[in-house]
Amino acid sequence: MSNKRAAEASSFPVKRPRKNADQDADIFIDNEDDVIPPSPPESPSLLPRGATINFSALTRRLAEEKRAKDRDVSGLTSLEMHRRQQDTLVSHIFNEQDFSWLHLKADHTSRPIWISPDDGHIILEAFSPIAEQAQDFLTAISEPVSRPAFIHEYKLTSYSLYAAVSVGLQTEDIIEVPVPDSITSFIRDQTLSYGKVKLVLKHNKYYVESSHPETLQLLLKDRVIREARLFSIQQDNSIKATTFTTSKAPVKGNLVIPGAREPKKDDSTSGRMPGSGSNAADTNLFTSVVGVESDDIEEDDDSVHAFEIHDSKIDEVKKRCDELKYPMLEEYDFRNDTVNANLDIDLKPATVIRPYQETSLSKMFGNGRARSGIIVLPCGAGKTLVGITAACTIKKSCLVLCTSSVSVMQWKQQFMQWSNITDRQIAVFTADQKEKFAGDSGIVVSTYSMVANTHNRSHESKKMMEFLTSREWGFILLDEVHVVPAAMFRRVVTTIKAHSKLGLTATLVREDDKIADLNYMIGPKLYEANWMDLAAKGHIANVQCAEVWCPMTPEFYGQYLREQSRKRMLLYCMNPNKFQACQFLIRYHEERGDKVIVFSDNVYALEAYARRLNKLYIHGGTGQVERMRILSHFQHSPKVNTIFLSKVGDTSIDLPEATCLIQISSHFGSRRQEAQRLGRILRAKRRNDEGFNAFFYSLVSKDTQEMYYSTKRQQFLIDQGYAFKVITHLDGLTEMPDLVYKTRDEQIELLQSVLLANESEAELGSDIRASEGDLAGTVTSKDFGPTKFQRTTGSLNALSGAQHMSYIEQNKSANKKLAREAAPRHKLFAKREKDKAAARKDARASGR
Amino acid sequence: MRAIKGVLFFCDPAVKQILLVMNEKQSFIIEDLDDHHLVIKADEEYRVRRELETELEKNTYSLD
Repeated sequence: MSNKRAAEASSFPVKRPRKNADQDADIFIDNEDDVIPPSPPESPSLLPRGATINFSALTRRLAEEKRAKDRDVSGLTSLEMHRRQQDTLVSHIFNEQDFSWLHLKADHTSRPIWISPDDGHIILEAFSPIAEQAQDFLTAISEPVSRPAFIHEYKLTSYSLYAAVSVGLQTEDIIEVPVPDSITSFIRDQTLSYGKVKLVLKHNKYYVESSHPETLQLLLKDRVIREARLFSIQQDNSIKATTFTTSKAPVKGNLVIPGAREPKKDDSTSGRMPGSGSNAADTNLFTSVVGVESDDIEEDDDSVHAFEIHDSKIDEVKKRCDELKYPMLEEYDFRNDTVNANLDIDLKPATVIRPYQETSLSKMFGNGRARSGIIVLPCGAGKTLVGITAACTIKKSCLVLCTSSVSVMQWKQQFMQWSNITDRQIAVFTADQKEKFAGDSGIVVSTYSMVANTHNRSHESKKMMEFLTSREWGFILLDEVHVVPAAMFRRVVTTIKAHSKLGLTATLVREDDKIADLNYMIGPKLYEANWMDLAAKGHIANVQCAEVWCPMTPEFYGQYLREQSRKRMLLYCMNPNKFQACQFLIRYHEERGDKVIVFSDNVYALEAYARRLNKLYIHGGTGQVERMRILSHFQHSPKVNTIFLSKVGDTSIDLPEATCLIQISSHFGSRRQEAQRLGRILRAKRRNDEGFNAFFYSLVSKDTQEMYYSTKRQQFLIDQGYAFKVITHLDGLTEMPDLVYKTRDEQIELLQSVLLANESEAELGSDIRASEGDLAGTVTSKDFGPTKFQRTTGSLNALSGAQHMSYIEQNKSANKKLAREAAPRHKLFAKREKDKAAARKDARASGR
Repeated sequence: MRAIKGVLFFCDPAVKQILLVMNEKQSFIIEDLDDHHLVIKADEEYRVRRELETELEKNTYSLD
């Protein structure tokens, strides 16, 4: 491509007279309207592929000419020259989409928006003064893809459009503005079929329901859906049929009500319900019919047709319906549900929810019913309270699922704190505790794995599971939805019968790109907060992000290049320059009065750093008592301003005092971890102080794999609008007194100790062992067993001390010192000792 | 002794380490002067530059 272009560029200006080129360019500008979006008049899909290519090739040629012409112009200012050079350097990245040669329209300042006709992406100039009005609308109808400071990118998807329609926007509202035809037809297509099919839960059985029999017929033509249908005619002949009829008979009366109520809200015709409703119910149950009886047709508006589907196949059906463009609605009319007992729960009067929390909930309860979906809020922005408020709105039995037993207890505690629920109504189901709530309704908090587990259950948990599956839940709250494996999720969703589902998360990213699955398993993304907005309004702290590049010392880098194993990681973590940068940053921020947390996934590095710099540290092996003591010192003592944390600190430890965060080693390219760690300082206590900034540093060893991972990790935060500054040189680092590893000898000594370390030391997060019921990868467990013994091979030489074994003086762990200070003698012993000393003195005196 | 045409190579310490490792596979360094300077064989220069480029590119993250 570049070759060809170069050839063109060189040949054209020579052969053609200048004037001609000018004309071409002019002609081209006349055509501009057709070229730049909003879209060519013909929808691109209608065009033969060849035509488009020709067109773009033509424009490219014209562009080349223009560029060549521009190149001739001399007498530009140096800045202009520089800009032009930059353009040429960058332009190859954009290939076909390089429109830099087009002229801006005269009124471009009042057109801050561009809609891509091909894929429904919307680009917004966020710096435009009129952009703010557009933003609210755009978040309502589309999904935010990336929102950095100046240019925002949104994407129109079918889900976002459903969400928009269900909030009450009409198709015509959405396409009020002149929009490319392809987009218009996309919007029309998507919104047309919206809301025709519903998935309804009635008495522990799932029905696909629709007021349009044609739609159901259409769906049943699909193989997947047909197979999922529960009692087809063949089965009816068996014994099952009889059991069904008997079991159904009493149900009928009830069934009428929910079935017929649906149209009431839509069409507000509620007068002659019972007859038609039961009729519809009859047809549903006994013939499971799609073809409608004649008297039904005239009442078509009121009656609802349905067929039952297998519990286990719900997922497939939902997915299939999505593919068929008939997405199933899952809405729960909780106010009119008389079957399930109400739960007496309300927020405490003192509880106030923030505006964005209210917005997110209004999306969920937009039309008076509970809509299933996902709410995305940054860490520290009060996701829990949103969940609790939703539960208080629905006021039915509620099941809360989270990732670990620690967060189970946190959820319970939060429920007690924010709402008026009593201890008797809220139960916990974990490996250690299996409770049931008293009364007809209540809240159960559990973990995903406890519920999804299929094998080896104790008798108690079996009984508990029976309890969970036997009843209907009004509401199921799914915490941290992004981490749950799809298979586990499916099991949860299919075994537990819930009317509505709400997923909560801070980071809707998965390294395996399985996010789309959540769309049909839970529902669309209802709301996604703008991090920058929340920061501007003071709900979360303002954070300055920086990446500090630390060059590797030659010795370390030499070893790094020769080492192929996982020890490489240890080498770039232990880089002496990183050590120094870390020391410098800690000192700098301690002097400013910040409280600093240093994160390291690698335990070996964590201990080495903390010991050398004489700071307190917590990792998986740290005992509970010691841990509590360290945390309370960090929170209250003015002398302890820095602590080192391993992966344990990612989620479970809440430290609102912390205002500065430094990470020295991290879990490869995990975007989620980066966001979680940032979340540690987002709820900083001092966030509302004038001009307060929290700081987030990542120390990266230059020229190593870490550079790659670091860039990858940042992607999510960048999409949220954070900008990472790159720091290549820390001013005043070399002048700092008692800088560690200053001399080459010291550095080599450090290198030697790193090389002597076991390979296993290079592993990440090795200090953490999940307890039963915790999801893998969501390290929050607090129960750490004793460390396992390890068998290693070593030579006899080494053991006898002949191999580089020498006396080394090390800094003692600062933890140890703390332990001694913090444990004064018990009064009883102190007194006894005093008495003893006095007695001895007396004895001596009398002996004399 | 036969004369060899050499090129003075100016680089940062990290790049020098990469070159030293490359040198172990196929020798091209004539003289190791200090942290920033090397003398390498002139006819190997192009190959060395190219290999260095690919080596450095490995640690760069791109969106594709």
